[in-house]
Amino acid sequence: MNRLVGFAGVVSKRISGAIALLIGASSIIYLTVRMAPGNAVDAITPMGTPDDIKQQLAADFGLNEGPVKGYFSWLSRAFQGDLGDSLVVAMGSRVVDEALPAYWITLRLSALALLFCLAVAFLAALATSHHQRRSGLMAAPIYVFTTIPSFIMAVFLIHGINSFVRYNISQDVIFTLDWYALGQPSDSIVPTLIGGLALVFSDGLFVDYLNALRAELTKLKTSQFIMSVKSRGASVWPHIIRNLWVPLVAGYAARLPLVLSSVVIVEKIFGIEGAGFLLIEAAKVRDLPMVVGVSLLFTMTVIIVDLLASLVRVATDPREVARGA
Amino acid sequence: MLKGQLGLWSSGTIVGIFCLFGFIAPLVDYSAQDAVNQRERQFCPPAFVDATPEQSRSCPKPTGSFFGTDHLGREVGIRLFKGIQAVFFPGCLAAILAIFIGGLLGAVGGYTQGALRAITLGLIRIIDTLPRMVFLILVCTIFRPSITLIAVVAGILSIPTVATVVRVKVERLASEDYILAHIAHGFRPVKILLYHILWLQCRSVLIRQASFIFGYIVFIEAALCYLGDYGVQEPQPSWGNMIAQAKSYALMSTWPWLFPSLAVMVTIAAFMAFGNVIANRDEGAKR
Repeated sequence: MNRLVGFAGVVSKRISGAIALLIGASSIIYLTVRMAPGNAVDAITPMGTPDDIKQQLAADFGLNEGPVKGYFSWLSRAFQGDLGDSLVVAMGSRVVDEALPAYWITLRLSALALLFCLAVAFLAALATSHHQRRSGLMAAPIYVFTTIPSFIMAVFLIHGINSFVRYNISQDVIFTLDWYALGQPSDSIVPTLIGGLALVFSDGLFVDYLNALRAELTKLKTSQFIMSVKSRGASVWPHIIRNLWVPLVAGYAARLPLVLSSVVIVEKIFGIEGAGFLLIEAAKVRDLPMVVGVSLLFTMTVIIVDLLASLVRVATDPREVARGA
Repeated sequence: MLKGQLGLWSSGTIVGIFCLFGFIAPLVDYSAQDAVNQRERQFCPPAFVDATPEQSRSCPKPTGSFFGTDHLGREVGIRLFKGIQAVFFPGCLAAILAIFIGGLLGAVGGYTQGALRAITLGLIRIIDTLPRMVFLILVCTIFRPSITLIAVVAGILSIPTVATVVRVKVERLASEDYILAHIAHGFRPVKILLYHILWLQCRSVLIRQASFIFGYIVFIEAALCYLGDYGVQEPQPSWGNMIAQAKSYALMSTWPWLFPSLAVMVTIAAFMAFGNVIANRDEGAKR
């Protein structure tokens, strides 16, 4: 009973913490809009926007009210699914109607890329955890993987693919991809696959995960309780996997913001019509309701995934409840 | 990672050249080499590559351009050199901003208790929640984008990373015997925190983070230029706008995008390695 009360207390603390984070992060986004130079409505609308739309925009963002009142009226509308209407990208349509389907594509790509990264890093960590030191020869390629930015990785990939296609055409080779790396949207699965790989093997994501898992595995394997399990002749793997679960989940949540930043670049470069692509297209034409709406979705995802990871940790690791924080 | 003398000298040389060029680039007059010369010297290959018959007609040997020319006949090498100027001072600004504010917030969060600690940690977490690239694009949409604005915002968004690293270290140090001895001797908490903990013990961590942030600014400038012309605007060269411009002509010549891309990659790797090596040496010396 005591454990249940403790569990409920920790869960309620985490949920209230997430709500506070959401209010804090959304208020930064809102204040950034309000800080637009000069007349805020003129500053945030594209040239030639009709007056009635400007008035509607001012009402949507609470710009006619004080900052606090305006913020809470904007936030309450946002929670009811009203993020305003798009000004240019999907003129007149509701931002939510356009952003949510695109966001689903982004979320799926980010989550699957991160899951793939986790699976490969986990297998690589299992395979290499008994080697205490990396050889000097291995250090250099690992270092390259650690530092290649997603943007440069994507640029290299896109030019590599174009060169491959061009070479095949010049040599009259029949085999070629059904997609050309021109950054335009297409129905092909190729850009999504290549974009996903660019996400996994850039910004040091894979190596960071691998190093964290290797360190955790090495620590576990040399710990007292694993030694005692070994001495009884039992299999240590069920214990190792159970203890590795917590850092796996925590690492997944901690790395999601990095992936969500990289996915914006990758989607634009490979022409994947997700929320990142939509965000950049909207930013180019200063479609502010769309930009703010998509930014809010990205931020909410980071908070929600962090909360879910934290709840999973609380549910699976009794030490979290004992700590009570 | 790259360790020892080799790592220090290789990364230190690249970082040194970058900083030296950052200082002297504004002093060099390069208008002749950067002049638009489209008809005569468009897409000349680098000096170490044989020109095709078609290129030989428009690019008489010697071209005098080691890295070749771009679609407007401007020298890629000179633009690479001047491109450093675009990110050097903004990078310094972002690093200083993040190190000062992040270091202070981390120190306060790690050393104090109660409401002050809760507020500091809450602030760090709120900023950390914002996806960096998304927030930078939002800021560029609302304000007139410039590299200085981008550097300031990127510096602010880097504060949580610095603060978290410092906080963890300060929390560990705060219960050390020698710090308790300083308290017992009546040292002021501000002096203990700023001098004995932050300056003497966290210096290596701060150097490492400053180096990482500098590399991050090089990356963010290039990425934002490529994505939407938010960074440095033509005709002033930057590595980002060089890559962005060359993408339209990528099928005609590889060199105008390859050299700036490699420059971005090598510079980021060098700054990360340099930060790690210097910090490791500093920590090693303390032990």
